[in-house]
Amino acid sequence: MLAIDAHDLAKTFRSGWPRRRETHALRGVSLTVQRGAIVGVLGPNGAGKTTLLSILTTLLVPDRGRATILGHDLAREPGAIRRRLNMASGNASFLWSLRVEEIIAFYGRLYGLGGRALAARVEELLGFAELGPHRRVPYNELSTGLKQRLALAKSLVNQPELLFLDEPTLGLDPDVAIRLRAQIAALRRQRGTTIVLTTHYMREAEELCDEIAFVKNGRLLARGSSEELKRAIKLGDVIALRVDAGGAAALAGLPGILRTTAEDGRVELTVDSAQKRLGEVLQRLHESGAVVRDLEVREPQLEDVFIELAK
Amino acid sequence: MMRHELIRIWAFALRNLLMASRNVFFVFELTFWPTVGVLSIGLMTRFLRLSPADTSFVLIGTVALSTVQVCQLDVAYAVLYDVWSKSMKHQFLAPIAVRHLTLGSWLVGIGRGLVVFALLAGLAWWAFDFNPLRIGGGALGVFLLGCFLTAWIVGVLVCALVMLFGTRAEASAWATVNLVLVLSGIYYPVSLLPGPVAAVASAIPLTYFLDAFRSHFGFASEFASPLARGFGLSAAYILAAHWGLRAALDRTRRSGLLLKMSE
Ligand SMILES: Nc1ncnc2c1ncn2[C@@H]1O[C@H](COP(=O)(O)OP(=O)(O)OP(=O)(O)O)[C@@H](O)[C@H]1O
Ligand SMILES: [Mg+2]
Repeated sequence: MLAIDAHDLAKTFRSGWPRRRETHALRGVSLTVQRGAIVGVLGPNGAGKTTLLSILTTLLVPDRGRATILGHDLAREPGAIRRRLNMASGNASFLWSLRVEEIIAFYGRLYGLGGRALAARVEELLGFAELGPHRRVPYNELSTGLKQRLALAKSLVNQPELLFLDEPTLGLDPDVAIRLRAQIAALRRQRGTTIVLTTHYMREAEELCDEIAFVKNGRLLARGSSEELKRAIKLGDVIALRVDAGGAAALAGLPGILRTTAEDGRVELTVDSAQKRLGEVLQRLHESGAVVRDLEVREPQLEDVFIELAK
Repeated sequence: MMRHELIRIWAFALRNLLMASRNVFFVFELTFWPTVGVLSIGLMTRFLRLSPADTSFVLIGTVALSTVQVCQLDVAYAVLYDVWSKSMKHQFLAPIAVRHLTLGSWLVGIGRGLVVFALLAGLAWWAFDFNPLRIGGGALGVFLLGCFLTAWIVGVLVCALVMLFGTRAEASAWATVNLVLVLSGIYYPVSLLPGPVAAVASAIPLTYFLDAFRSHFGFASEFASPLARGFGLSAAYILAAHWGLRAALDRTRRSGLLLKMSE
């Protein structure tokens, strides 16, 4: 069952007067997301990630394309969609002098919650986001971490089946970011919430996402699990060695080596598969009489995939 | 369903109330400027040695101006708060309609408008011996309703302008109402206005509400059945203003301004 089924979404922003500037933010993106999945949308700054999320959350009307969200048509039934989804963004902002609990309650009411049901929901979310001790603090006195947690709490006020998170851990210290990630993972585990998130932290994407969609220049360049992307991009593994001088020369002409760098006895070989080539490499070195002092095998990181795709 | 509707309206009413209660400058809005207005106009009537009747004519205008302005500002704040705090997108992510926003904030505006009216009526009575309350509850209620309906219309139009042009249109929250008030004859009978301007004045509901109110103080009515015209026009404008606001919101969803106003 699909939570999102989007076809060929395109959006061009027109701004400036009298000379109009056009920004082609999305140039035809199709995306499907299974119910209960966590999908990460990655891509360089200005790639169109926020634009894509905005269209899927009904905040922006696309120029072209169509989408079905939770079984409702995006263009014809935006009201029905809004009831069932929500979004939090890392740079969210709320009314400056409202208190934490008042902000959650305000948005709760917009979804028709009132009376005891609202009070209970606010309590639950204050607990979930660990905002209890700060419930009476005005928004403009909150730290970045607390603001982010409030944004997440607010986005859960209607118990959304589909949740969009735009850079949810932006500007958080590692400790707070880890806790927030754990909460995001718990949402899916406990409630089966479908989550679409954007992030610039590769570890976050690897840790949370079942699948990653890579967007660049308004186009979807690749999608798959982190492992699939690494394999598809064919970045190869790296065998890093510390050997006595002259060792690198012995490796010339070995099959499967994509790239070699040698410097002060440090040799880095990029090979198609470390598993396949390591034995041969070591054997060559041994025969040539070179002594291996240190050895490390590195698989490509998602970061490497990102850099490669963003090129 | 009805309950959900009321909760959403209440959400915006409560929000305006909370924001107002935490801003000291709102006390100025509510007391200082209106008081200054009535005092300066009242003193001017003394200086010009206006008859008690003419004094009441002018003071009715001043009191109406402040009442409409305060109520109208609350409606405008419903959108301005979101623009200033850059939180616009969150509420339109929720399943709400513009009527929830304008009705909720209007209710608070009515409350604040009543406070201002009571304050100014007391002041006018105490300082200038003019008691606008003496005509009795019914006529007074109708007049106030007229003021508040006018405020609603102007407030919703300001909201639409802010939606269309962002913070650049902010000043309209304070300026638009003055335009309406000049045209609807605050300090003079609209018959004084030159032809084309008088035509504009006759299209403004407040013109008729002022006319009807003043007739209770002995001024001859300039229009036939002013109240029916006033309420008829108000109803039409309220529908039109809401349609305009809705269209402006749809436009921000297409142009991306809704996002721009949230970052
Ligand atoms: N509301 C808007 N009005 C005009 N142009 C916009 C608007 N929103 C985005 N853009 C432009 O569209 C392009 C895509 O922006 P978008 O915010 O979707 O990128 P992103 O992938 O989210 O980037 P980042 O990683 O920096 O958040 C950018 O060039 C941006 O300047
Ligand atoms: Mg972005």
